[in-house]
Amino acid sequence: MGIVNMAHGDIYMAGAILTFYVVSTLGNFWLSLVVVPVVIILISAPMERFVLRPYEGYHSSSMIATVGISFIIQQIALGTYGGIPKKITNPWPISFNFLGVDYPGYRFLVACISILILAGLWLFLYKTSYGILVRASMQDREMASAIGINVNQVLVTTFVMGSVLAAVGGILAAPINQVSYLMGNDIVLLCFIVVIVGGLGSLKGTLIAALSLCSLEGMMASILSPTQARAAIFVIMIIVLMRRPQGLFTE
Amino acid sequence: MSMIFGKIVEKRPIVFYVAIVFLLLFLVMGVTLPKGARSLVIQMMIFSILGMGYDLSLGFTNQCSLGHSVFFGAGAYGVIFSIMYLKVGLLPSLSFSFVAGLVFAVITGVISVRLSEAYFVIVTAIFFAVFHLLAMDMTWLTGGDDGLSIQLPALSLGFGKLSLYDPLVNYYFVLAFLVLSYLILDRIVKSPMGKVFISIRESEKRVQFLGYNVFRYKLIAFILSGMFSALSGGLYALTLRYGSADFFSFHWSIMPVVWCLIGGLGTLVGPWIGAVIMSLFQYYVSAWWTYYLILFGIIILLILRISRKGILGYIISRRLT
Repeated sequence: MGIVNMAHGDIYMAGAILTFYVVSTLGNFWLSLVVVPVVIILISAPMERFVLRPYEGYHSSSMIATVGISFIIQQIALGTYGGIPKKITNPWPISFNFLGVDYPGYRFLVACISILILAGLWLFLYKTSYGILVRASMQDREMASAIGINVNQVLVTTFVMGSVLAAVGGILAAPINQVSYLMGNDIVLLCFIVVIVGGLGSLKGTLIAALSLCSLEGMMASILSPTQARAAIFVIMIIVLMRRPQGLFTE
Repeated sequence: MSMIFGKIVEKRPIVFYVAIVFLLLFLVMGVTLPKGARSLVIQMMIFSILGMGYDLSLGFTNQCSLGHSVFFGAGAYGVIFSIMYLKVGLLPSLSFSFVAGLVFAVITGVISVRLSEAYFVIVTAIFFAVFHLLAMDMTWLTGGDDGLSIQLPALSLGFGKLSLYDPLVNYYFVLAFLVLSYLILDRIVKSPMGKVFISIRESEKRVQFLGYNVFRYKLIAFILSGMFSALSGGLYALTLRYGSADFFSFHWSIMPVVWCLIGGLGTLVGPWIGAVIMSLFQYYVSAWWTYYLILFGIIILLILRISRKGILGYIISRRLT
């Protein structure tokens, strides 16, 4: 939708931190999957409507604006949550034994949920009538509004969906990683590399790039140090950019 | 056509007078200010160089880069390594920082300048993030977060030796570089090449139709911008006599954007105003409130919303109408 969102990682972080609060007050991890998206919707819908709307389609301006938002979210998190990383206890401490190797049940569950979400997103974008509206508005906003699509509403919905997905990512990652106010910075770099390699606006490309790059990084991290593994991913991105500046999977 | 040309001719003096006023102020303040305030002004001047360098990229060719901390850090480490390992003098070490900026800008520029706007901002942001990670990780080389400190050699001029440990010498040393880089950049911007830069900002496609190699001009602007950012990084390292992986941090990528936006894009002197305002803001507000970065974010949003012309751009447009 023409927004380069630097605050995406911070919404991910906000999801994780809100999960921490939900777990500590309500005591149930699974409730956070319901409560946190509602909070994120309440935050991100006005954010898109009143703050980011003028910059849509202007990549540089939107990037600078979202940097500002990212500062605000991070500092609020630092002020309320504190700077010390905390850990959430594993909500599903079961492990499966498959071919003699133990797999932690929670990670398995997260993989299943992610596949479900991805399938849902794909169905939504390519198989429902609202998905057609979304894709039409992305392709040519003026034309879409000329044929009677309520583009404003579509834009808000799209942004909110993106934010909720980021927050759900944060919720699911909270028991695996440590929850800290800077956890978004780390993930946003990886997201950007994945999106650049996969190509902007291509769900398939993003999915393939994410799966291949992240498994590659995981494998390389077992040989090299984590930073070197990330640098290797970065080198791959540069090679891809030199060969195909528009990303691997854009038409 | 003649009217437009008249506007351009009329536009010059205001910026020029502002520059003169600023430089005179800096010149007088070096002697009159107390020690603490003087070091703040030294920082402002160094930031002004960084802002001017950045202005060449965002203000003149409309390349919104978030990777300038790479050049800033490269410049700082260019100075530190050349003094530590090669034992060169001050001015040669600054030329090393210039060369470091050149090398890094060529590497990043060749990859990123060709890309479309969305890809450019993202890829430069990735450059910043990766180089920051690497600088933090390679502690054997960069010293990581703790950094490296250096012993400054004396500055040998024809008539004698000066030491940068004297704050007054440091002040005028930096001021000289500010004046020098302003004159060079002003000359570049007013040259035919600078005119091509401005026309690329106004309409990239049209410049391409006119037969110019847009990629080459954008790359030149990006490299020049990176070199001056590196120079300011080198001066900063000399002033602090220290450099750390922190010089690669996001702070040095986003601050030039804010300075340019506050002061006025495409004016060269605008970033000076922005740098002065933001330095004062940071100095006073950070002492008063721990989470001042919230205000910083709000300021970014406000400037973007109100006007992209900035203070100086506003003054110029008022004078013209």
